Amino acid sequence: MNDPTGRGDLERRFRRLLAWYPREFRREHEEEMLAVLLAGAADGQRRPGLAASADLIGNALAMWLRPSVPSSARAVRAAVGLMYAGAVLEVAALLTMVLTTDSVAAAVARREPAQWQAVHAQLVATEIAAALVVAAWVWLAWGNGHGRGWARAAFLIFFALTTVNVMGSLAQDGATYAPADLTAGAVLWLVALAAAVLIVTPRASRCYQRQPAG
Amino acid sequence: MQEATFLILTALADGSQHGYGIIADVAEISGGRVKLRAGTLYTALDRLRADGLISLDREEIVDGRLRRYYRLTPDGARQLADEAARLRANAAAALSRLNRAEVAT
Repeated sequence: MNDPTGRGDLERRFRRLLAWYPREFRREHEEEMLAVLLAGAADGQRRPGLAASADLIGNALAMWLRPSVPSSARAVRAAVGLMYAGAVLEVAALLTMVLTTDSVAAAVARREPAQWQAVHAQLVATEIAAALVVAAWVWLAWGNGHGRGWARAAFLIFFALTTVNVMGSLAQDGATYAPADLTAGAVLWLVALAAAVLIVTPRASRCYQRQPAG
Repeated sequence: MQEATFLILTALADGSQHGYGIIADVAEISGGRVKLRAGTLYTALDRLRADGLISLDREEIVDGRLRRYYRLTPDGARQLADEAARLRANAAAALSRLNRAEVAT
């Protein structure tokens, strides 16, 4: 515990931030990055600054999400972009739902007071489902961006489920968020359709590995 | 080409440099305007190396810390020269039009 300069503390904290990077990148660059980070630190500094931490974590996340298929694989790259766009739209829809949960449930309760709890529970369930869908969009974008065969198959299944879901909302009247909900669903479905078309083209097929791992 | 990429390649244009040297050099070239941080720098170096614009020159251990020197590849030098020529043409066009406008008024 003899560390009057705080260098040991600082190094340990920088290493914890560097742990956000993919293993391969860390093996290649961790030591030299640490040297650069320590060289740039002030005397007696014990903690990484906020800006330095944000820069490390932000770049690490971007590195995880960035597609690794060659930039010549335009169709797959475009599909991955659409999948991330799908995730962003879904997040927007989710935020809207979360922010309006109480007012929607209250509006329903005014008409049918006995239903308030049931409606509230249903809204929360829908929000949890939407959060899972956000995760699915990101996960599938990552997998397709890395040319994983399973991710292509999984995306097509995801698209089929989305289609069934949109058809279901069209058939069923009186959806809680009727028009806005339908519009959001339709836009997301179109995004999924475009991405699905892009990844099944013969040119895209060459970017996918046969084996799921590796 | 993004400005950070352009400045990193410029820092390597007249000889190899290690990470901290690049950060200091980029700050100097840009008049203190661009301060690269480690995450941004190494994400860029990793990509530039994968694209074949820079390569590893040598490694040293200084005070027990690893220092890696990077250098521009012929391909990197060509792309930097192309980009510099493009920027110069744009700047020249802007200046000549501004001059013309000044003369006219």
